[in-house]
Order: sequence, then C-alpha cells, then structure tokens
Amino acid sequence: MRDTIITRDMVANPKTAYGNKKASTRHFITQRVTGAINIVFLLFLLFIVVRLAGQDRVDMVTVLGNAWIGLPLAALLVVVTIHMRNGMRDTLEDYFAGSLYRLLMLLNTLFCILVAVAGVAALLKLVFWG
Amino acid sequence: MTVRSRPLSPHLQIYRWTITMAMSIAHRATGIANYAGTVLLVIWLGAAASGQEALNVVNDIYGSWFGQLVLFGYTWSLIHHMLGGIRHFIWDFIIGMEPGQREALAWANLIGSIVLTLLVWTIFVWMA
Repeated sequence: MRDTIITRDMVANPKTAYGNKKASTRHFITQRVTGAINIVFLLFLLFIVVRLAGQDRVDMVTVLGNAWIGLPLAALLVVVTIHMRNGMRDTLEDYFAGSLYRLLMLLNTLFCILVAVAGVAALLKLVFWG
Repeated sequence: MTVRSRPLSPHLQIYRWTITMAMSIAHRATGIANYAGTVLLVIWLGAAASGQEALNVVNDIYGSWFGQLVLFGYTWSLIHHMLGGIRHFIWDFIIGMEPGQREALAWANLIGSIVLTLLVWTIFVWMA
C-alpha cells in the first residue's frame, strides 16, 4: 500500500510533509463551498424523485425538460461531482501515496467526469430535444 | 518537497469505540456510498433521455423490493452525510467542540438521519 516507510529522519526533515502543502487549503475550501451547495441539490433531488419516481417518460420530459428545472439540476450535478472527487481524494490521501495514489486519483477523476458528462448529457437531451 | 505517506494506526482494533469516532467513520462510509450512488441517478436520467423502454427497465429494477431497499439505504446515506457536513460547518465556527457537546452532536447526527429518512419515506413513499 505505501511506497515509503516513514523514518525518523524523514519526520525530522522539514522538506517533507503529509499531503499536498500547496493545494490542501484550496481543497478544504472547495469541499465546504460545494458541500453547502449540495444541500440545495439534495432538496432539488428530493423534489424530483418524489415527483417522478416510477413515472413515464412523458412526465419526466414535462418536469426535467423544463429549462428552469433541468438546467439548474445539471449545474448542481456538476458541483456534486466536484465534491465527490475532492472527498475521494481525501480518502485516497490517507491510505495511499506515490504512484499508486496518482493512479487511483486518475481513476477517481475519470469516474467523476463520466458521471458529470452522462448526467449533463441526459439532462440537456431532455431539455432541448425532449 | 517530498510527500510522506500518512501514519496509519490500528485504532479500530485498539481504542474503545466512541460515538464521535463511529460517526466520523460513518461520514466517510456514507460519502463513499453516495459517490457510488450517483450512478443510480445518472442511469435513471440517462434512461429517461434515451426512451420509454429503457425507462421501463430502470423503473422495474428500482421499483423491485431490492431496488427499494437500495434506494432506502441511499436516502439514509445522503441525509446522514448532509447532517455530518452541517456538523462540520458548526465545528468550523468553533462551536460544539467541548466534551459532551461533541457527543451530543454526533448522536444528533445519527438520530436525525434515521428520523429524517423515515419521515421522507413515510410521507412520500409509504403514505403517498
């Protein structure tokens, strides 16, 4: 799991650090801001699921095809994927380091992009082409 | 700058379980569950966009007892993670960090998530 064993010298060496010194504050703030926005997303999701669970395509197009619903939902979904990627980074940073961390981070990024693109594409289709 | 791998301690096996520790672990676990759960939402949206037949298949799966079980768990996971996030916002203002307050917030997180989940399902699913 870990590339390097932590030695006494390494801990004493001020040129080594846990995690990403330059970006970690930004990651922290990103997680707070996107997390706050996700509360809005959850209320939106509740409304949509309650309104549309088990319904036919016609109903889905009527509700999600409304640009005032479909487009904000698409934007919120993108924010969710940012929060997902950032949160998974937090977990990966704790348990992995070095090249394995970078590989898992790449997979993490790809998964989040996939979710965002698939979700936004579906919503844009519903809004603009029915 | 060399990045050290973080120290891992066998805390789960050694320390007595506390509610704050359990809710911290639950916050991470629900976060990972929500990470995977977005696929359910995207599949539903994608099926709706592609056509009625695809939507029928998804509705059948999500409407089955197993699908409902997963969606119930997903609801709890989302609500628990949201309340956990709000707890972190409270802590960010240096409120609720004293002994006793921490435990109260952690219990509130757990009980609140169960109550809200049951409330949502009772009002919108079981009584609807």
